[in-house]
Amino acid sequence: MTGSRVVLNDRLLGTAALAFAAVMAWQGYGLEAPFAYEPVGPRAFPMLLSLIIGLCGLWLAVKGGNPVEPAAPGVKGRVFAVAAALAVYAFLFQWLGVVFATFLMSLPVGRAFGGSWFKSGAAGLVLGVAVFLLFDKVLDVVLPTGLLGGLL
Amino acid sequence: MNEIFGHLATGFSVALTPLNLLIAAIGAFIGTIVGVLPGLGPINGVAILMPLAFAMQLPPESSLILLAAVYIGCEYGGRISSILINVPGEASAIMTALDGYPMARQGKAGVALSISAWSSFVGSAVATVGIAIAAPLLARWALAFGPAEYFALMVFAFCCLAGLMGEQPVKALLAAAVGLALSTVGIDENSGIYRYTFDSLHLSDGIQFVVVVIGLFSVSEMLLLLEQSVTGTAAVKPTGRTLFNLREMAQTWWGTVRGSLIGFVVGVLPGAGATVASAMAYSTEKRLVEQSDPEGAHFGKGDIRGLASPEAANNASATGSFVPMLTLGVPGSGTTAVMMGVLALYNITPGPALFDQRPEIVWGLIASLFIGNFMLLAMNIPMVGLFARMLSVPTWALVPFIVTVSAIGVYSVHATTFDLVMMVALGVVGYLLRKMSVPMAPLILGLVLGNMMEQNLRRALSITNGDTAILWESPVSIGLWACAAAVLVVPVTLRALARRRGGAAVSSAPSA
Repeated sequence: MTGSRVVLNDRLLGTAALAFAAVMAWQGYGLEAPFAYEPVGPRAFPMLLSLIIGLCGLWLAVKGGNPVEPAAPGVKGRVFAVAAALAVYAFLFQWLGVVFATFLMSLPVGRAFGGSWFKSGAAGLVLGVAVFLLFDKVLDVVLPTGLLGGLL
Repeated sequence: MNEIFGHLATGFSVALTPLNLLIAAIGAFIGTIVGVLPGLGPINGVAILMPLAFAMQLPPESSLILLAAVYIGCEYGGRISSILINVPGEASAIMTALDGYPMARQGKAGVALSISAWSSFVGSAVATVGIAIAAPLLARWALAFGPAEYFALMVFAFCCLAGLMGEQPVKALLAAAVGLALSTVGIDENSGIYRYTFDSLHLSDGIQFVVVVIGLFSVSEMLLLLEQSVTGTAAVKPTGRTLFNLREMAQTWWGTVRGSLIGFVVGVLPGAGATVASAMAYSTEKRLVEQSDPEGAHFGKGDIRGLASPEAANNASATGSFVPMLTLGVPGSGTTAVMMGVLALYNITPGPALFDQRPEIVWGLIASLFIGNFMLLAMNIPMVGLFARMLSVPTWALVPFIVTVSAIGVYSVHATTFDLVMMVALGVVGYLLRKMSVPMAPLILGLVLGNMMEQNLRRALSITNGDTAILWESPVSIGLWACAAAVLVVPVTLRALARRRGGAAVSSAPSA
């Protein structure tokens, strides 16, 4: 997720797993029940898991290898763009409403998948309206109306 | 036997209500489409539809029927893209492409599509009969399980997944442990204290299952799709006869039956899924045919026997994987793990007690597997052209659609922005993990089983006041531990032996 020079391989995965295990152990060490009426409290299972994750991480970090093939040129940029567009979509979904948010999301995502601006926008508009009508009106799944609140 | 027919009668009375018949037909249709689209497999289909079914306030048995029809439909649909464009619609259809695509290139696409629909049907039908017979027996046996046995059973399920699936079992173990770790977030049932909630209200009742599944499978899949530009893959036009003839049916019959049986057995094993089953069926068939008929065998170049058997196996396995989920509460595949999540939304815990308490759910599901299978056969032979047209939907329209439906699914559960953001974050994490070939199915299994596994462990140790000896005291748990060790050790040993012999023995199953 950091710079573009980072190579995804087992060493990186193992290190990430070790960090995960460390945070889990650190945050979980203080977990104790105020009244212990059973021999195994709420701490044991998370501790056991952080041990397993840590051992897996250690194995992978020491052994290394299995580098992921670098993606074709341009792919990385598109992955970042789509991921960012999805994150923005997640934030705007409730606020702008399904129809608008979907339209906005479809533009960059459609572009990344090779559609033209016009096609992506048109698809997004049709999609937003159709999905809203289908789920909210027909199937009774309540969706946010957002900016179009008064109209819908 | 009479007892089973009695139960089946109950089941059919549930499955034959107009609502449930309609739902099964819709599910079969959607499932086939999801299976056809490359990149979308049964897990994505079921994960996206699961919250929607719940939000539409379908009764639990109807939800389960919908999702089961989608699941089996995917196994039917996966074959279409394998045969026509040589791109498996999902992992378990990889073997189908080996002989199906060459057949299509030789102008026998119609025959390939229809014979594979037929063997899919036989596979599912054999496995459904298998469920009706095996499930009640297994459930009765499992009633005697105590917490120690359950704990051992779950360890066995994880070992199956790690041992059978991966070239890299350490990554499968890591994924399972991370899934289990995610399940510890939220209030601890026994002591009432908060674990790993980081003082967030949104995390106090745990990480939402739907969010994790849709993020890890659906969103990460969209990012992975960016890497494979499957633009302009020309589909082979279905030409020639559209239906197989009796000679072809006779030629493939025993292979189909063998594939069905292999598939069912593999499906019943917790953890191992349709991908493993179809690979096993293909290699078995190849070995048998090349021995008995060395002249006529042309596997990999369009042998109809190499198409029928794995196709029967993957359907039988998908159907068979309902057995461990229904009877033991331990799912047999990633997709049934997701279905367990559906039942959890309805506060239903699958397991042996379900057979007595909610027979309408169990037997309604089994009966609708029969009915859905007939519907799928009826849809898949005449409507194959319509499904094949799905392959020409451009990704710039398809991906926004999937993203939107995924978001609606997540939003429909709690209606919070937090869940949506979490979905995207998990999607990015899932993308990176999958790039580093960490399998996702053990993670989901861990998340589903985590709570049960911890509870059973703690309960078992409460009985003996902390003495761990109880975990391997009864014959059943000893047997399960031994099986768990065997599934881990045997594949590794076999692989090492094969390597020493230098022979390019049976190629191991491609990981999903």
